[in-house]
Amino acid sequence: MNISPLNICLLGVIGLVAAGFYGLLTTRNLIKVVIMLQILVKAAVLGLITAGNISGQLYVTQSMAITVIVADTIVAVIGMAFAIQIRRQVGTLDTNELSSLRG
Amino acid sequence: MTLPVWAWIIVLPLITSPLIYFIGHLGKSRGVFAQRTALLAFAATWAAFVLAAQDLQHNGISKLMVGSISLKFDGLSLLLAMIALVLGSFVVIFSGHYLADEEGQEKYYAMLMAMIGVMIGLGCTNDLFNLWIWFEAMAVTSYLLVAFYKDLPTSLEAGIKYLVQSAAGSTLVLLAIGLVVAETGALNLDEIRQTAESSPALMAAGILFVIGYGVKTALVPLHTWLPDAHSQAPSGISAMLSGIVIEAGLIAMLRSLSALSGVTTLWGPLLMSFGILNMVVGNLMAFGQAQVKRMLAYSSLVHVGYMLIGLGIAFSMRDVIGAQGGFFHMFNHGLMKGLAFLAAGSMLYTLHISKGDHRPLLFDDLAGAAKRYPWAALTLSIALLSLAGLPPLAGFMSKWQIFVAGVDTHNGWIIAVVAFAALNSVFSLTYYAPLVNTVYRCEPSAIVLSGKRLPVVMKLPLVLMALGIIAIGIWPSLMNWLTEPAGTALLAGLGG
Repeated sequence: MNISPLNICLLGVIGLVAAGFYGLLTTRNLIKVVIMLQILVKAAVLGLITAGNISGQLYVTQSMAITVIVADTIVAVIGMAFAIQIRRQVGTLDTNELSSLRG
Repeated sequence: MTLPVWAWIIVLPLITSPLIYFIGHLGKSRGVFAQRTALLAFAATWAAFVLAAQDLQHNGISKLMVGSISLKFDGLSLLLAMIALVLGSFVVIFSGHYLADEEGQEKYYAMLMAMIGVMIGLGCTNDLFNLWIWFEAMAVTSYLLVAFYKDLPTSLEAGIKYLVQSAAGSTLVLLAIGLVVAETGALNLDEIRQTAESSPALMAAGILFVIGYGVKTALVPLHTWLPDAHSQAPSGISAMLSGIVIEAGLIAMLRSLSALSGVTTLWGPLLMSFGILNMVVGNLMAFGQAQVKRMLAYSSLVHVGYMLIGLGIAFSMRDVIGAQGGFFHMFNHGLMKGLAFLAAGSMLYTLHISKGDHRPLLFDDLAGAAKRYPWAALTLSIALLSLAGLPPLAGFMSKWQIFVAGVDTHNGWIIAVVAFAALNSVFSLTYYAPLVNTVYRCEPSAIVLSGKRLPVVMKLPLVLMALGIIAIGIWPSLMNWLTEPAGTALLAGLGG
């Protein structure tokens, strides 16, 4: 496989998705969980830009990417707010200690 | 630019949402002000809805271009708007007393209104990326509503679980959109349908759509957030989540998959396999639950399973009856599960919440409740029996339509699936019937005897919804005006 910018982007998307899901599954800290979600979103943003490049619709996908960043910041903010509130009410950020709901 | 009348069903809730918040801040009793404003907003939206429904019947599907984004109002949009408005109105009436002692009620009503607006918008979009935007907006409003009791550790835990799973799912949807754009260069669903051909990238995109939207639709094994979120949210929100939010996820999935219908014929069997998984796992998990709301949450999995079977038949056979059956069940499920959650919520309110206690409602708490709360007990039983599919209630009629559609295909596999669904429906009685039994045949427990009086305003939505379930059960053709355009819209989306 030759190293073209396109291939680097595709590898980047795959790498970021893999890193994001691996982190999501292994980390126990809520703040880190939110960071992992952000890594996943960055993979999606890179994916959209790459797709725009492939199909020649870069203007469309760039504006989509910006919208995604805005929308996802809101999710990250809410996730952080939950983390803060959990730290206050439960006294921990460890997801292992947050498992009262089962069955 | 003049907006078509149907656009007002989206615009009105979105405009009134911040108004509700500000008006709620004006008075001393914030909840009452906010609730009254929300009711007014609903009245206005209902008026727009009636006009839009008439317009759809007479003039057919209408489209609107906002910049390069295409919106359209078809049968699916009508169905989603109807369920959202019916459930939303009842939930707002119900929540007045339920939340009377809570902080932040004005935020609750404002968020609820926003959620309804974005869900109706989700039904009206004809653009793949725009669909994701509405979907994400719906998710954001529902995260906040699930964690409404912001000082309860269990409610926060349910909220963060829901957020993490849902956000991971929505990034998969974005990756799928990227694949579709790379392959077809289009975002408009009609254009994608015309250009999409069989290719590995589009296959992957379809699967990512199923997984991504499947988190919100609670496809097994992506359902683990659902029992927590449904049981920890305020009862009105549980009713909304189960009755419409997961269905909105399903509609988003159907819209995106139908644009990719030319890629493969496997979408139908895929939907049906998830339907079977959902029925089996939902039934097994619901069986043996001790908490009423958790049991109802797992039963939502089962009902999504029935819908998926009806819609899977529509996808594989281009069969309009299956699609109508699936959508009829979607509407009935909204009504039945909404009623079940509200009736259970009314008992939770009188027995625990009105005493400032946020314990979950157990089966045992309801022992002999019929003697003291005849209306709540009766409506809860009607909802449960209808969910179990006993004739002559609404749940029977829609399941029957799905089963008939399956048998009519004369395809051995589909008939086997439908027969299995019928068996599951019978099995579901094993967890609904004991609850009805406990409510009616046991001696009142100490908790029931010490419970508070149930306010009339809370009984009103329960009785109206129960009457609706009975009426649809006796005259199922009452809902044809809603299910027929929805079925036709899905089939048109499939190019059939």
